[in-house]
Amino acid sequence: MLLSCDTFRNLCRARALLAGSSEPCLSVKHIANEVAISPYHFIRQFEAVFGITPHQFRIQTRLDQAKLLLAKGDLSVTEICMEVGFSSLGTFSDLFTRRFGAPPSLYKRSARAMVQVPGNYPQELFPGCLSLMGSLPATAFRNFQEASFLSLR
Amino acid sequence: MRIKLTSLMVDDQDKAMKFYTDVLGFRKKHEIPMGAYKWQTVVSPEGPGDIELSLEPNANPAARTFQRAMFDQKIPLAAFEVSNIEKEYDRLAALGVVFTTKPMQAGPVTIAVLSDTCGNLIQLYQPAM
Repeated sequence: MLLSCDTFRNLCRARALLAGSSEPCLSVKHIANEVAISPYHFIRQFEAVFGITPHQFRIQTRLDQAKLLLAKGDLSVTEICMEVGFSSLGTFSDLFTRRFGAPPSLYKRSARAMVQVPGNYPQELFPGCLSLMGSLPATAFRNFQEASFLSLR
Repeated sequence: MRIKLTSLMVDDQDKAMKFYTDVLGFRKKHEIPMGAYKWQTVVSPEGPGDIELSLEPNANPAARTFQRAMFDQKIPLAAFEVSNIEKEYDRLAALGVVFTTKPMQAGPVTIAVLSDTCGNLIQLYQPAM
């Protein structure tokens, strides 16, 4: 698929709209109208460019926002659930666990245990991959051909 | 000092591994769980066997902001060399890949730009022989 400049710009604008609002009334159909693409084409094109549907993207954005709020620690899990736009604590908890591998309450406890400098997120929350290099096994540094040869033996 | 490793941020490591292997054609070298994330790298089946590309998560809010801004401004964050860009374009388009630029001459190279579905625009380029 080759995207025109206008369509590209509109899809990026749609992404920003989906990321920027937790208002449940801003439906996918509404956003499609905002960017002047039919809902059918909007969902297909959005998924082709961003790898997920607009609805899935909105849910992921809310879960990511929830994760940050849980790390900050000022609000309860229930308050955060409502704050990011979920109406059901059970649904929020299930989706969060599926995406991040731990329920919101457990994530909140582990994030709060990290040393925090006011105004900054602790480095352990978002370790850059390169800084984790020291935790890799020695085999991770084998040449690819050598690793392939050894795995065949 | 050697260049053996480079990295690219992706918004979903599983989705990225699938795209970079099944679609782009790279081969998985490592996929090692590291807590909430993975150390995952790919290599090219064509190129030197030991130059790896790490597909790392963009979980850091600053990283996400940067990545989205580059995408919205149509700035590719990586470029891969190909031997026949028209053939690659046809192959990838048939697989459903979205291009923002179809193959076009740009000075000494022919370039095309695609979305990797993980938050990045990727440039393909074929140098003139």
